Amino acid sequence: MTAPYDITVIGGGPGGYVAALHAAEQGKRVALIEAKYLGGTCLNWGCIPSKTYLKQAEIIEMIKKARDWGIETGEIKLSIDKMKRRKDEVIHRLRNGISYLLKQGKIDVFYGYGTIEKNHSITIKTKDDVHTIESEKIIVATGSRPVVPSIQGLEQVDYDTSDTIFDMKNIPSSIAIIGGGVIGVEFACIFASLGTEVTVVEMADRIIPNEDADASKTLTKELENKGVSILTGSTVKKVTKVTKENNYSILSVMDGNGETHSLEAQSLLVSVGRKPNTSAVEKLELEKNGPFIHVNEKMETTNKGIYAIGDVIGGYQLAHVASAEGIVAANNAMNVDDQFDDKVIPRCIYTLPEVASVGMTEEEVVNAGISYRTERFELHANGKALSAGEAVGFSKIICDETYGEILGVTLVGAHVTELISEASAFMSLEGTIEEAAKMIHPHPTVSEAFQENASSLFQKLKNQGVLV
Amino acid sequence: MANEVFMPKLSSTMETGTLLQWFKEEGDSVETGEPLFEIMTDKINIEVEAYDDGVLLKKYYDIDDEIPVNQIIAYVGQQDEVVPDTSPGISGNEINEEKELNESAVEETSVRIEEQSKVEPSEDVRATPAARRVARSNNILLNEISGSGPKGRVHVKDVNQVLIQRNDSRATPLAKKVSKAHQVSLESINGSGVNGKVMKNDVAKSIDRVSRVDPSIQTSQKRKLSGMRKVIADRMQESVNTAPHVTLTSEIDMKKVQELRKNLMKVVESHTGNRLSYTDIIIKATGEALSRHPAMNASLNDDEIVLNNSINVGLAVSLDEGLIVPVIQDVPSKGLREINDHAKRLAKNARNQKLQEDQLKGATFTVSNLGMYAVDAFTPIINLPQTAILGTGRIQEKPVVVDQEIEVRPTMAVSLSFDHRAIDGAPAAAFLTELKQILENPYELLA
Repeated sequence: MTAPYDITVIGGGPGGYVAALHAAEQGKRVALIEAKYLGGTCLNWGCIPSKTYLKQAEIIEMIKKARDWGIETGEIKLSIDKMKRRKDEVIHRLRNGISYLLKQGKIDVFYGYGTIEKNHSITIKTKDDVHTIESEKIIVATGSRPVVPSIQGLEQVDYDTSDTIFDMKNIPSSIAIIGGGVIGVEFACIFASLGTEVTVVEMADRIIPNEDADASKTLTKELENKGVSILTGSTVKKVTKVTKENNYSILSVMDGNGETHSLEAQSLLVSVGRKPNTSAVEKLELEKNGPFIHVNEKMETTNKGIYAIGDVIGGYQLAHVASAEGIVAANNAMNVDDQFDDKVIPRCIYTLPEVASVGMTEEEVVNAGISYRTERFELHANGKALSAGEAVGFSKIICDETYGEILGVTLVGAHVTELISEASAFMSLEGTIEEAAKMIHPHPTVSEAFQENASSLFQKLKNQGVLV
Repeated sequence: MANEVFMPKLSSTMETGTLLQWFKEEGDSVETGEPLFEIMTDKINIEVEAYDDGVLLKKYYDIDDEIPVNQIIAYVGQQDEVVPDTSPGISGNEINEEKELNESAVEETSVRIEEQSKVEPSEDVRATPAARRVARSNNILLNEISGSGPKGRVHVKDVNQVLIQRNDSRATPLAKKVSKAHQVSLESINGSGVNGKVMKNDVAKSIDRVSRVDPSIQTSQKRKLSGMRKVIADRMQESVNTAPHVTLTSEIDMKKVQELRKNLMKVVESHTGNRLSYTDIIIKATGEALSRHPAMNASLNDDEIVLNNSINVGLAVSLDEGLIVPVIQDVPSKGLREINDHAKRLAKNARNQKLQEDQLKGATFTVSNLGMYAVDAFTPIINLPQTAILGTGRIQEKPVVVDQEIEVRPTMAVSLSFDHRAIDGAPAAAFLTELKQILENPYELLA
């Protein structure tokens, strides 16, 4: 029997470990249960490894581009082993960092699967041991795993998900990516840079369907320039294994007109979405929100003393959202009233070019019936972007007509994931289009595009006299 | 030492003032220029501002108390200062220096009253001296400020409001814009942001709260029942609660009044400069009828019915902020020309807040004319302790049977509400009939 804890967090991802650290900082006795590796999906099979590969992809693209600028290198040789090793080094380093922080916070870390019993004690099952701990409050941060849709023949072929693809042994000559969401398009970029023939199959009428349509359009064009084939409005009906060396598969893809085409690829990546890991709470009768755990804005589940955060509750399924929810849950678990505010949540896609957004998309604004104005500023009119040879992309601001409230911003281009926080800051502090237009930006920077965008929009609104 | 707060003398004839409301409670801190309490002399009401910084130590009077001029009402001073348990009486019975100070304060008060009615050529904005001082020291132009006092008079709190809106970084830019557009004061909003910063949602909630009073009415302003409004509210309530009202209505053929008015129009206008109105004639006729029915001209005070010697007719005048009833004294002794002259002057002064106290006193009967609206009969409420009130409606061309023939005649509905405690139906009906006869044969007024 272990001494009771004030708070136990199940899941050591960006939601769970942040919640644990926050509670420990306030002097609470905290336990953290992690089934595999600290850092969760984000660090081990998600954000971080994909970014190491995407940086490599960017460098490959730059080398190719530099040839036209008079910088000649020899033939590019790729070593997938070295690339993977670098990825693993980055992961280990960050994982050790988390481990160190947890140790500093005197947080007891248990490796194993945690399950909450009906009496709210927690059973931890490791490979060769089962034991129980007691905790006053519990935060469920068990995350999610890739969804594998039921497609005829899929189980008979060797397919990858984002959980397995990072440890590929060879660079495939061709890859079919089922799902053109964030994960799908990032891998499309990675593989395109590695010289793989890439086909993306997306069910919706555009890739990254949750983002602004303008962003989808620009990204589609850029991916196609890299040689990526994009099939939208299309579904994979059947997968057939080809008895051929190197494990080829043939996909039967039905397009929007109901016609079926065949698509042959050496590798198959399934990236159609993620489903919650709820085994930790399966003995409890928690209210669900679809497959996800239902919580209120205080991150409380329907069982008193049990909180849930991150991918397991659905919503944005973003690491930074999970972390923010973790802080809210930890605060409420410590009886410090806190509520999750989802007003300003930036979303980033690390393709080449990057897509970063915050707030509402134009479609959402239209559906909400808000009278709005929007405008785009193209990066090819931006000095810094041109100099860097990264002039593809734009800044698009959507603001309300009455007060100039910034409702949403979408940025497309190199480094825009670093720039989106400026828009977030304006929205979070409730600066309007007027303040954004008047704030001085350094020259030459890509950030000027945001200001130029704001300034032009503000002038127009002012001239038309619609602003208050 | 603690500073006296006393009943200011607001006019040369003012002897007492009625305390309407306190803006501060004992123990509240008070700043110079902040409204401290509101008083009323008959129907002129005014907010009295503090002349000293400090803490309101003691209040000696409650709402509705009638307090003599210069009586000490309260003390403002430092926390824990000892002040008398009861009002020490008239201010100025202490040290000379103190007295001087107080007198200058009185002077300032009366200056302020004058300012209400006088337009300053240099700075044609109505403002209290304290408001002027604060505005000056903060380089704010008074004409940038919308005053909350009567006739837009600027008070210190209005200046402060502008200062807050101008300088306050406590609200986000967006919240400021929203609050400005909805004319919601940021001052009163609790911010939910860091360090109480006011966010857009806080403003939105505040707007919501105000309009939630009645969801069907889109209001963005809440007004405290104060000043004139409160006096009217209290008096009307009292009248309805105490006097059993009976309202009689009748229709009067105004053909001859019309002729009379037409004939006398030029004469009166050449003397008074005003057009002779139906109201003038109705007042004169009412005075005449009252002289023949003294029981209608009575006042019911406690257990006594007092038959009044003079017949003074009050005329209800509508103002933006309420209703005021100036009085035409001794109506039977006045001709139409004089009545016209008095009535017009009183109405004008009432609208300009220039009425003298004695012009509001002593009415024995009231006339309320709603004839300028599409109103016929209504149920006027008696202005206690008077016995009755006459309401007159519009004059309308109507078919009337005259000598077995249908004729079109200008007719006017009249409504007489009387206090059944003081008089019964028959004498009241007789009075109304008398009035009808006079108005239908107005030439007898000249007799």
